[in-house]
Amino acid sequence: MTIQLTEPDLAERAITGAHAPPPVIEVAHLRKTYGPVTAVEDVSFTVAPGEIFGILGRNGAGKTTTVECVTGLRAADRGSISVLGCDPRHDGRELHERVGVQLQHGALPERIKVHEAVQLYASFYREPADGDELLDTLGLASARDQTFKKLSGGQKQRLSIVLALIGSPEIAILDELTTGLDPEARRETWRLIERIRDRGVTIVLVTHLMEEAERLCDRVALIDQGRVIALDRPAALATAAAGTRVRLRAPAPVAEERLRAVPGVSAVERHGPELVVTGTGNLVADVVLALDRAGLRAEDVRPETARLEDAFLALTHEAAHPTDPEASR
Amino acid sequence: MSILTLAHDPRRRHAFGLLLLSEIKIAWRRPAGLIVAVGVPLALLVIFGSIPSTTQPRAVFGGISFFTLYVPTLLVFVLIAVGVGGLPQQLATYREQGVLRRLSTTPVPPSWLLAAQMGVSVILAVIGVTILLGVGVLAFNLALPRTPGGDLLTLLSLVLTVAATLGLGLCTAALAASPQIANAVSALLFYVLAFFSGLYIPLQSIHSTLIHDIARALPTGAGFDAVHASFLGQTPGVEPLLVLGAWAIVSSLAAARLFRWE
Repeated sequence: MTIQLTEPDLAERAITGAHAPPPVIEVAHLRKTYGPVTAVEDVSFTVAPGEIFGILGRNGAGKTTTVECVTGLRAADRGSISVLGCDPRHDGRELHERVGVQLQHGALPERIKVHEAVQLYASFYREPADGDELLDTLGLASARDQTFKKLSGGQKQRLSIVLALIGSPEIAILDELTTGLDPEARRETWRLIERIRDRGVTIVLVTHLMEEAERLCDRVALIDQGRVIALDRPAALATAAAGTRVRLRAPAPVAEERLRAVPGVSAVERHGPELVVTGTGNLVADVVLALDRAGLRAEDVRPETARLEDAFLALTHEAAHPTDPEASR
Repeated sequence: MSILTLAHDPRRRHAFGLLLLSEIKIAWRRPAGLIVAVGVPLALLVIFGSIPSTTQPRAVFGGISFFTLYVPTLLVFVLIAVGVGGLPQQLATYREQGVLRRLSTTPVPPSWLLAAQMGVSVILAVIGVTILLGVGVLAFNLALPRTPGGDLLTLLSLVLTVAATLGLGLCTAALAASPQIANAVSALLFYVLAFFSGLYIPLQSIHSTLIHDIARALPTGAGFDAVHASFLGQTPGVEPLLVLGAWAIVSSLAAARLFRWE
């Protein structure tokens, strides 16, 4: 059951394979401190053209600082950054022509109208996209004459996406894209991001929402306390770190004891009438066989896809307590 | 520096034009600046112009009327209102809301927004001065400078004064951590500077060398002296013009060094 999750798919091969195109973003050993506070300790990653790359972590993990260094808003204390072959601190203007940014704390004047903002931002770029078409795509055509102040949270968020794309960027960096959106708007935005990627734009998505990363990202970098603690495809990461889970019904408590003894099983929990078995390897077969050998019959056996959230919790816990035997797999 | 590249890049010039236009529209939609910089001095002009005794020549004022003395004060008022009154709060608000930060991620530098805001302030100043002079001439027999070159000297005095108040406004915006602080500092500067332009009482009626020395060293005192003299058809003298120029240059350089974009 875990086979589907761990086998590299074609996208992964394209990214890691020998004929992979050169990365569009390269960050190596980035470090940034604010006075006594170390925001980013040591962050390295590369982003391949055309992928949706996630930067994932808790609030305060160093995600936004990393992105600010990549976009040239802040100077790194140490390490090197290359974006489309440019150094963000020295070729800022050239970089900003080709990289669209949606910032968590970036806004427009309250009384500017939507179509004015779009026209204004379009004038900043060499090859602007069609503003009306973008407004249409993002469902803002009817809000053209509204002032920024009067827009709803979702509309503001969508306008900031329009402005991030108005310069026909090769890379779009989107920071906490769906924060504050209701579930419906969030899903709508995710579909939109996929459509943008289909146009050939590379996307860097900064988020603390596991569901968002799982749904959208080709690869994610998990950042914790200023370090990259894991970097892989979301599914691979989830399976590797959190293991697989199997739900089943079996006569307790004999079954619980038997299952704990199975090699590869790390935890057995009782949830109402069900047993939830967590572990690695070919878990379903191992569990069913072990029960069969004990003369027990398992019913309603359902393997469960590992969630990125579990992986995140396991990995960040591990990072915080590296010697804790409970946390290490 | 980046502003200088505007001259020989039509695309960037177009972008700056749109930015200025959008700031003008925004200012028009929230006309608080217009009310303070144009409405208040206009109201004062009408009130004092309508009191008969203020237009009589007075020996205390060197044989001229209070009204004649007050018009240069009101002109300087317009220039403090646009520079020290309106500019810092607007810039501090843009900084707090992340407008400057948003602009930093585009090919256009955030300093353009400062330049556009100063442009809006200058336009407001032109409107305020024009309306004051127009109403003064049409309704209250205000005498414009008649000597040859008097109008140019008046213009020069006004330009140097607005350059000094804009510089002070930029310094306030540079140092204020929030729009609220910017507001408070603006108010403090505004009332003190307005006093030395003779807004509350004509400085001519105060017998204190210290007050007159301070007034001469401040942009509003020097601005009043320069505008008043050129209005009367006299040459303002080099001193007030030098004082104004020095305030404009020093405050702008200080603001450029101290300005925080976020």
